[in-house]
Amino acid sequence: MTRILKTIAAAALATLVAAPALAEGDKIREISILTRPQAAQPSEFQFVNIIAQEWRKLGLDVKIQVMPWEQMADLVWYNRDKWDVTGWQMVGRPERSDPDELIYNLYHSSTAPKGYNFLGYNNPDYDKVVEAQRVETDANKRQTLLKQAQAMLAEDQPALMLVHPKSTFAFDKTVWNASTVVDQGGIGIKNTWTFIEMEPLGDKKDIVLNSADNIQGINPLWISGGTDSWITELIWDRLLRIGPDGLPKPWAAESFEWVDATTIKLKLRDGMKWHDGKPVTAEDVKFSFEAPAGEEAPMYKPFVGNIASIEADGNSVTFKLKKPAAAFTTGSLSKINIIPKHIWEPILTDLGVKDDNAESHQEKMPIGSGPYKFTSWTTNEEVVLAANDGHWARPKADRWILRIVSNTEAALGMLRSGEVNFLSDFSGDPKILLNAAKEDGDLEVVSTIDMGFRYVAFNNRRPPFDSAGFRRALSAAINRDLIVGAAFKGFAVKSNSVISPALPFWHNAEVVDMKTGADLAKSILKESGFELVGGKLHYPDGVKESLAE
Amino acid sequence: MLGLKQIGGRLAQLIFVLWAVATILFLIFRLMPGNPLAAYIDPTFTEEQQLILMAKFGLDRPLWEQYFIYLWNLLQGELGDSFFYRQPVFDRVLELLPNTLILTFSSLIVAYAFGIIAGAWLAWRRGGLAERVAIPIVLTTRALPEFWLGMLLLAIFSFSLGWFPAGGTRSPGEEYSSLFALYSSTDFLAHLVLPAATLAIYSQGLPLLLMRSNMLDVMGEDFVTMARIKGLSSWTVVVRHAARNALLPVVTSFAIAVGYQIQGNVVVETVFSWPGLGRELVNAVSASDYPLAQGAFLMIAIVVVLMNLLADLLYSLLDPRISHA
Repeated sequence: MTRILKTIAAAALATLVAAPALAEGDKIREISILTRPQAAQPSEFQFVNIIAQEWRKLGLDVKIQVMPWEQMADLVWYNRDKWDVTGWQMVGRPERSDPDELIYNLYHSSTAPKGYNFLGYNNPDYDKVVEAQRVETDANKRQTLLKQAQAMLAEDQPALMLVHPKSTFAFDKTVWNASTVVDQGGIGIKNTWTFIEMEPLGDKKDIVLNSADNIQGINPLWISGGTDSWITELIWDRLLRIGPDGLPKPWAAESFEWVDATTIKLKLRDGMKWHDGKPVTAEDVKFSFEAPAGEEAPMYKPFVGNIASIEADGNSVTFKLKKPAAAFTTGSLSKINIIPKHIWEPILTDLGVKDDNAESHQEKMPIGSGPYKFTSWTTNEEVVLAANDGHWARPKADRWILRIVSNTEAALGMLRSGEVNFLSDFSGDPKILLNAAKEDGDLEVVSTIDMGFRYVAFNNRRPPFDSAGFRRALSAAINRDLIVGAAFKGFAVKSNSVISPALPFWHNAEVVDMKTGADLAKSILKESGFELVGGKLHYPDGVKESLAE
Repeated sequence: MLGLKQIGGRLAQLIFVLWAVATILFLIFRLMPGNPLAAYIDPTFTEEQQLILMAKFGLDRPLWEQYFIYLWNLLQGELGDSFFYRQPVFDRVLELLPNTLILTFSSLIVAYAFGIIAGAWLAWRRGGLAERVAIPIVLTTRALPEFWLGMLLLAIFSFSLGWFPAGGTRSPGEEYSSLFALYSSTDFLAHLVLPAATLAIYSQGLPLLLMRSNMLDVMGEDFVTMARIKGLSSWTVVVRHAARNALLPVVTSFAIAVGYQIQGNVVVETVFSWPGLGRELVNAVSASDYPLAQGAFLMIAIVVVLMNLLADLLYSLLDPRISHA
């Protein structure tokens, strides 16, 4: 006993003697990392646990806090200075095919107080670069700026990027001609192009697909659930559509032309008709873009905010913008549903004097001009659409039937038994799906790298995460290949940029291969002034812990 | 028979129970952690938009005020608008209730018909081989988890043999002009078989064991011995004398079971993608759709309470010896 005490005393004395002139930094408080429950988000729960384990090796005390989404969103989004680290995700959507939404909104300082930049990244140099790309209409110059922005993020590591997951879907190749199924970059084979182009091989001409989520609404002025958007995209046309290559293609507009940096002129296709037989006019298009500008369609409002005026003349429509916007064709013209003025004008006038907005107006018989017409919707059971014979892009299939299947295992069984012939939602282990396909022989499984990504956000407002060196070290401690294998079972690719390799033109491939390892992380910490004392990580000299509880 | 006074008393109790349920529902959902509008408001909304929405749903008012508004609306049969669907809760609940009721009643009728007959027969064959084999089987089916049983039936009768469809109430794209046309179609019946069988297998144990033990009691009584001494056939003794008397408690337990079964449907409806109230309830809770969850819970509570009342009334009707006086 006395010997032990002596040793401790000696060690303490040695530390005192060795101590530098400046007071040594405080020990870093226990940091907490948020994740949703394993049952709800198995991958997130898994990678958060791996990350916590790696960080502990650096001398940090790490606490994992598990909470449901409602609670987590409330804490992270509405209490921006009250958390340290959280698991998070961004999902792929066709309009995110333009990098602006992610690269600007996620990290520009203007969105830090209330918008998407919830983690509070603030870098004036970065702000300048992403502002410049926003108004740059020359694609090559814009590409250079975007690659520069990605490199800045890789250097600063405001968040620890992990992976771009793969979207995995399957279909019955004895029913559908596999060569006509369209794989849309960043989205997967479940997309509007497939639903239009996919060719039946025999008598079965109905696309029967599944979703685990109930349909919230079928409404062209409400961005509701993810599954709902599959339906709205088919019933309502848009001026342009995001093509399989991620770039906007002429659709209801047969051509478009930038007259100058803030003026775009589009020519409408001839002979388009609403599902009730009335012709689609330039006035309808003008109305469709003016309607969301009011208060009746709040979710679409941001997408028309940059429009100064719209002019409809014969079969051409001219948009005047308030300021140049490189993403206007993707983010607005490919986003806004074209709606019939003769139906919606009276509805919106009526709603104008009420509390409710257009989101709570469910049409009994939705009318669009798209490649599919609405047939029926049975609550929590199915939605049936029929091919629109009068459409210039008449689908090869006859009907599109979406079944709501709440049981994932049953969905796979139904695909094998033929009750569904296109598996458009599968939340189970993709390996099980691959094995089933191998056993069955009739199924084809397609995995596509997603535009969305999974990551761990650092709260850049709070020390020690306000230090770029500290963030860089914590990021370097994590081996992404391990995360891909352990948390995503191989169905993901590692990431170090918010722009997915699914968008090859904008993606900066150079930043992806970062070096990782505990030793590297420790040396970065040392360079940044953080010190290990008695196995615990301390702040640089003179820095106090201001947030300890 | 019950007098008017007793019925009045029962109704007062019923209203009290429903008020208590409504109050607990109100509190549970408001005391849950997290922002009630997290599922409704897209985080991209501006703060002003969020405040407008909070005000629209009355969530900016003090809790006690929300409570009185809620009670007042309930009294008028107003369950509010669903956060998730932006449509009136009442319409939605009413749309799904028939699917749940038909699943419940069809499975319980099968379960009780089978349970009563098998229970009577087992009582008659007391001590024989049949009893030694049957009773453990019945106890096992009683202990099986419903989701497991459902998955098992799916794997065998749907995916392996292909006899029955695996989910929903109709074949893809089938249209029916009315609810009656749907419910009377063979397509619907084929879809009903597996979920109803799952529930029936799970529920038959109670009436079977109840019937059997009642029968055993009754068969020891003097009037049954008397019937045998009279030289009546076994059939007549069992069916006309013993079973009729043993049946009373089983019939009343049916009414109570209907109430409880409605909640048991949650699991089976999810396994078989059945568009009923139970599945909606699960969705509503996980999506923090308070108005819808409250409405669905309340509807289930009303069915349970009404069925209990019915059981009470049946009891005194079927057996005049029982009086509530």
